[in-house]
Amino acid sequence: MNPTSPILSARGVVKRFGTLTALDGVSLEIAAGEFFGLLGPNGAGKSTFMSLIAGLRQPDEGSLTIASGGFPSGSTAARQALGLVPQHIALYMELSAERNLRIFGELYGLRGAALKERVGHALETVQLADRRHDVVKTFSGGMQRRLNLAAALLHQPKVLLCDEPTVGVDPQSRNAIFDFLQELNRRGLTIIYSTHYMEEATRLCSRIGIIDHGRILGLGTLDELLARLPFEEEVRFPSTPQTQALSAELTSNGDVATVDGVHRFRPRAGYPMSSFYKLTEEHGLPPRLFTSQRPTLEALFLELTGRTIRE
Amino acid sequence: MNPILVLLRKDFAILLKDKVSIMITFAVPFAMIYLFGLIFGVNSTDSGPTGIPFAVVNQSDNPAAAKLVEALKAEKTFRVITDFTTDGKAMRPLAEEDIAPLMKADRFRFALVIPRDLVRTEAIGLHLKTYSNPRNEIESQIVNGILQRTLFTNVPELLGQSLQERARHTIGSARLDQFNSAIASAIARQFGGNEEAIRARISNGNFGFGAAGAAAPGSGVSSQGASDVLSNIVKIDNVQVVGKDVKSPTATLLVGGWAIQFLLFAVTASATALFREKEHGIFQRVLSAPVSRSDILWSKFLYGICLGLIQLMALFAAGQVLYKIDVASHLPLLAVVCVFASAACTSFGMLIAAISPTPESARGLSTFVIMLMSAIGGAWFPVSFMPEFIQKLSRLTLVFWSMEGFSQVLWAHASFTELLPTLGYLTLITSLVMAVAVWRFRKGRIFD
Repeated sequence: MNPTSPILSARGVVKRFGTLTALDGVSLEIAAGEFFGLLGPNGAGKSTFMSLIAGLRQPDEGSLTIASGGFPSGSTAARQALGLVPQHIALYMELSAERNLRIFGELYGLRGAALKERVGHALETVQLADRRHDVVKTFSGGMQRRLNLAAALLHQPKVLLCDEPTVGVDPQSRNAIFDFLQELNRRGLTIIYSTHYMEEATRLCSRIGIIDHGRILGLGTLDELLARLPFEEEVRFPSTPQTQALSAELTSNGDVATVDGVHRFRPRAGYPMSSFYKLTEEHGLPPRLFTSQRPTLEALFLELTGRTIRE
Repeated sequence: MNPILVLLRKDFAILLKDKVSIMITFAVPFAMIYLFGLIFGVNSTDSGPTGIPFAVVNQSDNPAAAKLVEALKAEKTFRVITDFTTDGKAMRPLAEEDIAPLMKADRFRFALVIPRDLVRTEAIGLHLKTYSNPRNEIESQIVNGILQRTLFTNVPELLGQSLQERARHTIGSARLDQFNSAIASAIARQFGGNEEAIRARISNGNFGFGAAGAAAPGSGVSSQGASDVLSNIVKIDNVQVVGKDVKSPTATLLVGGWAIQFLLFAVTASATALFREKEHGIFQRVLSAPVSRSDILWSKFLYGICLGLIQLMALFAAGQVLYKIDVASHLPLLAVVCVFASAACTSFGMLIAAISPTPESARGLSTFVIMLMSAIGGAWFPVSFMPEFIQKLSRLTLVFWSMEGFSQVLWAHASFTELLPTLGYLTLITSLVMAVAVWRFRKGRIFD
């Protein structure tokens, strides 16, 4: 899918920190209404790219424009168009939920009745209206995360930047955040979501950019990305002395990679899987050792980088 | 290995990795011990205050008066001022009428006038006149003590002259000369010596007190004994130029010193809260809004000034309630000084935050610098008690100038115009320190 009306446009963006090139010519466009995922391991350049979009830093080379007006990142108009959900709970813990929201709303120029209305609505949306006067540090982790999200939505941004917003969050709260974000996206809000969890990108994002070492390695919908894999199925089995002979024999019929003590066999096109299972019988290996998987983003990342996303 | 020893080694290993703890454990007390040693003259044969500005106006043509001036100049406690540079940059001898305005301008806090009637004819004893701005009680006592000691150990013949003049006034010159000749003759007969020389010495007032005084330097005891006896027959007219109406002089100065010290701790803690906001990711959120780094720094700066103003005014109000310090009469000017002092303290706190890599190091560094600056700035002791090089250093500290401002308002009842130089120094300190802090913030990574 090629975005027709980009709400974010990056062209040849380079960002260096001393001798380290954190972003190396990143170019992409994100359309209005997309739920865009930026997927990559820690240190890949996700947070740097998010910080450039948010205007916290300026690119050394290239251009980055926000919203249909093409405002340069960091400009007042661009900042007004964006809402940032930082990785940390970026709230004043000693103050009440309402006081926090009022402060962040005022920073975006909201005043008086409009501010009151937006704060009230935001608290209702994240189901914290009844705790509005409570001090944030008394909230559970999940409640703090919800308020962290609400603080980014007060000024009704066109684009919501979520920088790994579920790090350290329990599964229940994570699901609640996912549901909330998907609802926001359904209402038309563009979301740019950085993560190193492939399942999050798979579940949430309509389009995904895979980033590593500051470069975009893959860009497209999930299906488009997975179609780049030269196999349709992957079989995994443990790497043990008993499976070594099978592993060696399979190399003539496809690729065999070993990751974390697990062999991953990706048959070449046209190789019948019945031949594979016949071979396992010949080696006296029980079927329970083998699991078959459809191509995943993890497999794609391995294909693109030669390593897993967690390395 | 014994688990106790393992755990012991672990604690030392952690300590060695913690530069802040090492600094607080060793460097801070070392600096304080060194400073206190300097103040109290430990290991020094030449202890005591030095270089206190001391104006002297000699109106007498008595040679002993000139000798007294020289003796005062030789006294290390004093930096004797006898000349005065006019606005036209011309130098002329200091006159008595110059003393009060110069003292109000804090050019010196003590002055001695040796009047024409130093040796009085109508009464036994000497007549001297002192002017003082006894801003610091301990300093005043020391100055008076050293003045008396200098007087009686170096020019005892003044007292003899006084007796001679009194006798001349009472019995006439002829009979006095006859009396002196008889005494000189008796001394020469009994103890030997030249009768004429003895008579000349008696006529000049040298009755041999000089022997007691001459033995005094270094020994202290006999000098003190002589001083106690002789001090009763020296008439000193003291004019307190500044602070006459202050009801609670000690408290007036005490509160200012401690208030500024604790203000430094408060605003530094406030500035180092920047670290907490960074750790919580709040800067990311705030800076992604239409807010600049300068906005954050200015808000912190203004917050520090407001906090400082409130804290200082609250402490001075407490001083009024507890010690009857007259704050209410000087409220507007005191508030002005508090604002400037708070700005200087806040800039200091921001510099600490800007140059420290971690909150822990900021806390350690601020503790060290605040204690050092309070000590040499005069919050704990009069600056004049310290060696002269530290006295010069103290004028570079915001503590010194803040206390100067408080004293000017509460002690000297200075006008706004008279306060301007002090406010100027505080502004200069604030500007320089803030400039460095902002530069460091821009170079640093606290907003990254």
